[in-house]
Amino acid sequence: MIRKELVAASAEPLILALLAKGESYGYAIIQEVKARSDGKLQWTDGMLYPVLHRMEHRGLIKSRWGESETGRKRKYYSLKKDGKTAMAKHHEQWSLVHSVLAGLQKEQYV
Amino acid sequence: MSDLEQSIAQWRQRMLAAGIKTPVPLEELESHLREEIERQIKSGLSLSEQEAFEFSVQRIGQPKVLKREFKKINAPMDIQKIIKLAGIIAVAVSIFCPLFIFLSMLLDHRVSSLPKMLAVAVYATTVATIVFSWKYNHKLLPAIRNQLLRRAVGIVCYGGCLLWIRFGIFHFPPGGLHGGIVLPLFIFGSEWTVMAVFGSIGHGLEKAASKKTEPADLLAGQS
Repeated sequence: MIRKELVAASAEPLILALLAKGESYGYAIIQEVKARSDGKLQWTDGMLYPVLHRMEHRGLIKSRWGESETGRKRKYYSLKKDGKTAMAKHHEQWSLVHSVLAGLQKEQYV
Repeated sequence: MSDLEQSIAQWRQRMLAAGIKTPVPLEELESHLREEIERQIKSGLSLSEQEAFEFSVQRIGQPKVLKREFKKINAPMDIQKIIKLAGIIAVAVSIFCPLFIFLSMLLDHRVSSLPKMLAVAVYATTVATIVFSWKYNHKLLPAIRNQLLRRAVGIVCYGGCLLWIRFGIFHFPPGGLHGGIVLPLFIFGSEWTVMAVFGSIGHGLEKAASKKTEPADLLAGQS
């Protein structure tokens, strides 16, 4: 299982990256993160919504009410311009951390 | 009403009692709950509707905890709106009040065209500075995480802005704008600009704090 601190730090970039593929809703976001991490990234379901709402307040994402295939009400989220900028920034920072870490690991085996 | 619908209705009541508002976010949470119940039932674990419901409710979380997290987001925003409104008033006053003075000058046939052009330039600079400050000052301002301190700084700035109006602006320029014009005009324009910049600091601080606060800590329960 991944540490809580890392789960928290990676939430925003993951949500932004998922929404960059197209609009989505809370439940689907949780399921996709779970599937892509083989269940290792476990989010507390209900707590996703305060995070989404906060991101919406910050102008990173926007939402609209729609309907599911079965006619159930659903709130869809999509990326805003500021969200795209934030995602690029996250990507740059995470890539840097990854490259430093990978470089150090490589040196250990030389 | 089926047992499942009854259980969901009771869950909604518990959420409402804890202070979770409807339609947002309660409808959204209910939609999530129903999807999770459906998935649990179809998962092949042979869960009954009631078991799937209880499991899904657990995954959603306790109403009080949820309420606390939503409150953290909404409460500062409500106060933010008040602060924003105060800022808008300060900015509007600092844009419109000088406009009347400048307009009266522009329409005065005794004033030659050079001072008139100067007045337009000063006013345009004043408005541009005010708009720029309102829109971008949060990028220059620090993110004060201590809410009390942040609000106190904002209020002090509004106070300064009001004092500026009371003791500064209405006493200037001596002799009006029709005599020796260049210096009084610039000072007059810059006075309103300083006032508006002061007035928009409270809003800028709120925006800076909001933009630079990571929301993701909530997800892993690190609020």
